[in-house]
Amino acid sequence: MENEMTYTAAFDELQQIVSDMEDGEITVDDLAVKVKRAAELIKICKQKLTSTEEDVNAILKELEG
Amino acid sequence: MSDTRQIFTLKQVVSSIRKTLEERYQQAYWVKAEMHKLNRFPSGHAFPELVQKEDDRIVAQIGATIWSQNLQRIQKQFAEVVKEPLKEGTTLLMNVKIVFHETYGLSLQVVDIDPSYSLGELQKERQETLKKLQAEGILNKNQFLDFPLLPKRVAVISADQSKGLSDFMQVLDQNTRGYRFFTMLFPAYLQGDMAVASIQEQLRKIERVKKHFDVVVIVRGGGGEVGMSCYNNFSLCKAIATFPLPILTGIGHSTNMTVAEMVAFRNAITPTELADFLLEAFDAFAVPVLNAQDQISSGARQLLETMGLHFTNETRLFRNAVKRCSEANKNQLHKISDAYRSNAQGMVRRHRQLMNFSNKELTRAARMVIEQRKDVVNHLPGFLKQHSSTSLLNALNHINQKESLVRLMDPANVLRRGYSITTVNGHTVNAATKIEEGTIIKTQSFDLEIESTVNKKKIYGK
Repeated sequence: MENEMTYTAAFDELQQIVSDMEDGEITVDDLAVKVKRAAELIKICKQKLTSTEEDVNAILKELEG
Repeated sequence: MSDTRQIFTLKQVVSSIRKTLEERYQQAYWVKAEMHKLNRFPSGHAFPELVQKEDDRIVAQIGATIWSQNLQRIQKQFAEVVKEPLKEGTTLLMNVKIVFHETYGLSLQVVDIDPSYSLGELQKERQETLKKLQAEGILNKNQFLDFPLLPKRVAVISADQSKGLSDFMQVLDQNTRGYRFFTMLFPAYLQGDMAVASIQEQLRKIERVKKHFDVVVIVRGGGGEVGMSCYNNFSLCKAIATFPLPILTGIGHSTNMTVAEMVAFRNAITPTELADFLLEAFDAFAVPVLNAQDQISSGARQLLETMGLHFTNETRLFRNAVKRCSEANKNQLHKISDAYRSNAQGMVRRHRQLMNFSNKELTRAARMVIEQRKDVVNHLPGFLKQHSSTSLLNALNHINQKESLVRLMDPANVLRRGYSITTVNGHTVNAATKIEEGTIIKTQSFDLEIESTVNKKKIYGK
């Protein structure tokens, strides 16, 4: 769930930046910061799509225990 | 003694029983009974036990026969209509003949089984399950769960090596978008009598490690469309409805949706469709992310362009405003300076005129004063000669008068005229002087000073 929180949060924050930008709520002053943050979030999200962190053996061990 | 008793052979007896029964039960009858055991023999014939139970106690029991040919026909028809195999332990409606055989004894020969009765029974179970889930308020419980944004960790309940499972995995693994799923198989029977317990057992396992998973899928495929009634089983459906993770079903069933499929978070007809659904969920996440990339870069560019344009406009406006303002000021300055110049010239002119005028006047006045003074000076010697002797004589008389007055006022002259001066401690006596009886006073006359002591004091007028 911790894992999910991270990409859910990343996704939500990214969507927020996009909608702020579309609504013209981002000023030139914080444009650079927002664009940099968006790039980080996009990287996180893309990583989530193409990687897995679970391990079958660990789960099996948990089931035996 | 002759034997008068009538003695029958066994064959005669059983033949008689058979004849009696055949006469009594000439037709076939519809009988409702539970088929306890099918007892199918290698020959293809079956010899099931038929029972009737009341409160789980057997109150009637009889052996039955289904000849191989009948059995094949009955099974085929049953599977077609009911979509279930002929199952032991279920109540069936059978068309039976009562037969008695000389060597095998009494049995019921089953010539037909009514599949629609069994279908009705199954429908009844389905309805019962739905009603119970509804009554417990859990019919839509699984559907109310939040679906994860990315259903990437998938617990798969399926039969190992089944076609359904391989179809499902193939769609997930070979997706062209590069999405990675984590799947773990929890093998189970997916149809028939064993399925209920088997699936529930795997659900219990998954629940113990649920933090590692986002969703559960139940995938079946490749088997026939029979043995699905397990998915109407109340306890299995309840386990699905109340499971803490969303359960997705893809059990490849085309007619009459089972209760399990109805209570699952989502039902897909086939495992392939189910895998597509998961990929779509990934798309729903990925597409906005990819769009965000474009939206943000184009948004940023647009913002910068807009601001650049805005800045250019502002600069132009500012320049124009400054120009207008400076021109307006210049004009005003010109006006003011013109006004000043003409005012100043006027003033200088006026002052110059005034000065000229004053100059003349002054010269004239000065000349006049000089003339007057000259006149006075000219007359002065005569005037002085005429007036000086009279005024000196008057002044002398005046001084003489003042001198005799001063002489008269001299204290010595006053004392000479008989007056005396009384002093106490060197001060003349007046109202403020304290004079008591015994005070020493001094009295000064013209030629004498007397010192005396006061014997009596009298104050006048008080």
